[in-house]
Amino acid sequence: MSRSLTGHLVVPVANEEDARATAQILDEYDYDEVTVVHVVEKGDGVPDKLSLEQAEKRASEAFDAFRGVIPENETEIAYSRNVVSAIIDVATDVGAAAIAFRPRGGNRLVQFLSGDTALKLVTKADRPVIALPEESEDE
Amino acid sequence: MSETEQELARDLGFLEAYTIGLGTMIGAGIFVLPSIAAEQAGPGSMISFFAGGLVSLLAALSLSELATGMPKAGGSYYYVNRALGPFFGSIVGWGMWAGLTFASAFYMIGFGQYLLPGLGQYIGFLAGWGQIGITVAALAMAALLTAVNYYGVKETGSLQNVIVLTLVGLIIAFLAIGIISGPTIGEFNPEGWPAVAATIGTVYVTFIGFEVIATSAEEIKNPSRNLPLAMIASVVTPTLMYVGVMFVSTGTLSIEALASSEVPVADVATEFMGSLGALAMIVGAVLATVSSANASILSAARVNFAMGRDRILINWLNEVHSRFRTPYRAISATGIITLVLIAIGVGIGTLAEVASFMYLVTYALVHVTIVVLRRANPEAYEPAFQIPSILYPFVPIVGMLACLAVLFQMSVEFVPAVLTVGPVELAAPATPTPVGAIGTVLVVFGIGWYYLYARDRALSESLVGEAIAPEPTAMANGEGRYRVVVPVANPETEQDLLRMAAASAHAHEDETAEVIAVNVIEVPRQTSLSQDLEFEEERVKRQQELLDSARDIAADLDIGLQTRAIVGRHAGSVILNVIEEENADHVLLGWQGTRSRREHVLGSTIDPVIGRAPCDATLVKLGSTGERGEGDIMVLAGEGPHAPVAARRAAEFLTAADGASLTLLNVQSPEPDTDEQRSPTERGDAVIEELAERAGIQYMTYETEIRVAEDIEQTILDAAEDYDTICVGATRSGAISQAVFGSLPETVGEEVDTTVVMARGPEESAMSIREALLRRLEV
Repeated sequence: MSRSLTGHLVVPVANEEDARATAQILDEYDYDEVTVVHVVEKGDGVPDKLSLEQAEKRASEAFDAFRGVIPENETEIAYSRNVVSAIIDVATDVGAAAIAFRPRGGNRLVQFLSGDTALKLVTKADRPVIALPEESEDE
Repeated sequence: MSETEQELARDLGFLEAYTIGLGTMIGAGIFVLPSIAAEQAGPGSMISFFAGGLVSLLAALSLSELATGMPKAGGSYYYVNRALGPFFGSIVGWGMWAGLTFASAFYMIGFGQYLLPGLGQYIGFLAGWGQIGITVAALAMAALLTAVNYYGVKETGSLQNVIVLTLVGLIIAFLAIGIISGPTIGEFNPEGWPAVAATIGTVYVTFIGFEVIATSAEEIKNPSRNLPLAMIASVVTPTLMYVGVMFVSTGTLSIEALASSEVPVADVATEFMGSLGALAMIVGAVLATVSSANASILSAARVNFAMGRDRILINWLNEVHSRFRTPYRAISATGIITLVLIAIGVGIGTLAEVASFMYLVTYALVHVTIVVLRRANPEAYEPAFQIPSILYPFVPIVGMLACLAVLFQMSVEFVPAVLTVGPVELAAPATPTPVGAIGTVLVVFGIGWYYLYARDRALSESLVGEAIAPEPTAMANGEGRYRVVVPVANPETEQDLLRMAAASAHAHEDETAEVIAVNVIEVPRQTSLSQDLEFEEERVKRQQELLDSARDIAADLDIGLQTRAIVGRHAGSVILNVIEEENADHVLLGWQGTRSRREHVLGSTIDPVIGRAPCDATLVKLGSTGERGEGDIMVLAGEGPHAPVAARRAAEFLTAADGASLTLLNVQSPEPDTDEQRSPTERGDAVIEELAERAGIQYMTYETEIRVAEDIEQTILDAAEDYDTICVGATRSGAISQAVFGSLPETVGEEVDTTVVMARGPEESAMSIREALLRRLEV
């Protein structure tokens, strides 16, 4: 049986600004439910770059920003060294139909340093991945 | 956040914590310090290292207790600021930051020495660059490390374990072969005991590493076991190693040869391990210095974050990079100061000593902190690891005195100083050393910072007063007086909330009852400084307006009013504190009527206040239609534990309003009772009668209404449309779980357009220790 591509979306957000922008774009489309994910990057054996408290504060800021646009959503904080696999794991856990995200640009150096997350997400995911446009269509 | 999620966030086991601490401890020190120490005190410096280790062990014990008691980012700074207040917080915060940057510069110069003259023996082009070359190498590495942390390049934990354990292996091999080769110690103490004592200060820089474990406390798995174990192990291991290395080094090479060597351990190793052994030591040293500096830069960023969080430092520094997810400003600032310290050529010994100085000041205060915390509130401060009771007052007292003794002897030289001012000659028995002078300037800077910046902004208060007078001061006022606390935030709802609070207050003692209007400015999350300032001004102005209009409203209502304007981190905890301080009998909050997200049920402020307030708590959703808290008032007369409280609230509103009516409504299902043959209506009447009695309103005039229906919830919602104000008691007692009031009251609140008042009596369920501790620390 085929299922809806946009039934339950998992939407990763990186920070407050990204969450707001993502929500604004997502708001223009139809979907059934959405789970917002923020991944706290862990050192996994070395101290984290960011203190946990600060990282969790960022997560809740991002969720608040998202909720400001789309009030109805579930949220999930994932803790992992690997951002991409953490997003995929959450999608599996909640049984999401697809992962929708807003790729953020950046030059090659930046993509090299931060590891091209968008590419990895697209290639590694075990379910459809929807790339949202960077800008909302109205603008 | 739930417990399990918190556990997920912890990913450092014992081995990782131990290698983080150990890596920093043996990192640079063991390769660089033997030269400096040998020059200052000869073989006697073994005693210096041993004594330094003892001083650190005492500090590690105190710090372990504090870190398991409050695992928060910021380490020693956080504990000192929390217990001793922002004055000492400023000193320690700046002190730790300075200490870490001086230490980073020290590690980097050590790195340069091993890389150029050291590896230069093997790789031609690295040799012969002289002091300039060392400085340039140190600068380049410091810049690279800053970049690594700025861009958030991930290091691997296993690599760190491998490096540190390899280093330990190398040092053990060095010691074993060195001792077998029969070192001969010359004169044990050529410079005399004062020199040995002075050397403690120099070598203490090596023992600041275990602080890195404390600053990462929130990431450590099973902290009650792993944290103290890792700290103590990472103090004991290097202490023994240092003593051994000094023994082998001073026994193998002459003091002069050691003192003039830039790569002492490698030179010693050449004597009995050949050039290959020496090369291994050099590679180890290069890796170790890098890992030490890396850990220090991250720790410094943690200290910055914690200071910003407590408003001792501008939060601007704590901005997180949107892409790299790193505190890039704090890291850049630390990196830049480290570069400056390397570039101006302070000298490797002085760098080490200033770092030691700042940490000795910090640890002296850490020992005081533990005494203050234990005395101030033993019920809320429940560390998982405690200094064993037979050692308790001994460890912090001796620890503090030891820190001060080392500080004192490294700060002054016993050389008479004569200051000539005109004809007057002032003679002092001692002169300050350069280290003493730099350290004192940094401490004075911290004090100045407190008076000029932090004093008006800092959020924490000292607990010293409480430690000195641990009995809570008797409630000076408010005994026997009925007090209603009303948090106000919205000018549109303020009037109605205050009127309802006044109704409740009036119903008690007309003369003395009082309403306390509270407005909390929640400290904004990270925004840029300029935004921050404008934002603050606007909010302070709004707060004033709100409270001014509260006073006007109170005057109209003829009720005593107190206003409290508070700036805090979390409105919920601030309100709970006000309730406690004012010994309030009732707290009345407004609610917008939309249920919140997953982490909160009704809202981040409402949940804790309603969930934990030790008094009557009422949540009011002001209706979009009908009269608010007046007009036709209806009480849902159920059998819930808090229904009588709801009825009492309704009665209070009834008394205060003109021309209001009161109805007690009960809904029964049509199925007959199993045991008694009563009609649904009879059952409903019985419930209402009992409720009126329990609420003490049986003599008031009220109407009753009983509806019989299958779907109770829907019937209630339908009935509610006929009234202006609905009062409903909490159906659930106990702490926050799925619902704060229970699902029925919350559904009514959400679905009904008229005013809904949810009420509950005092929360009697005991707070868990964890909750209590969090509550205390959240402020």
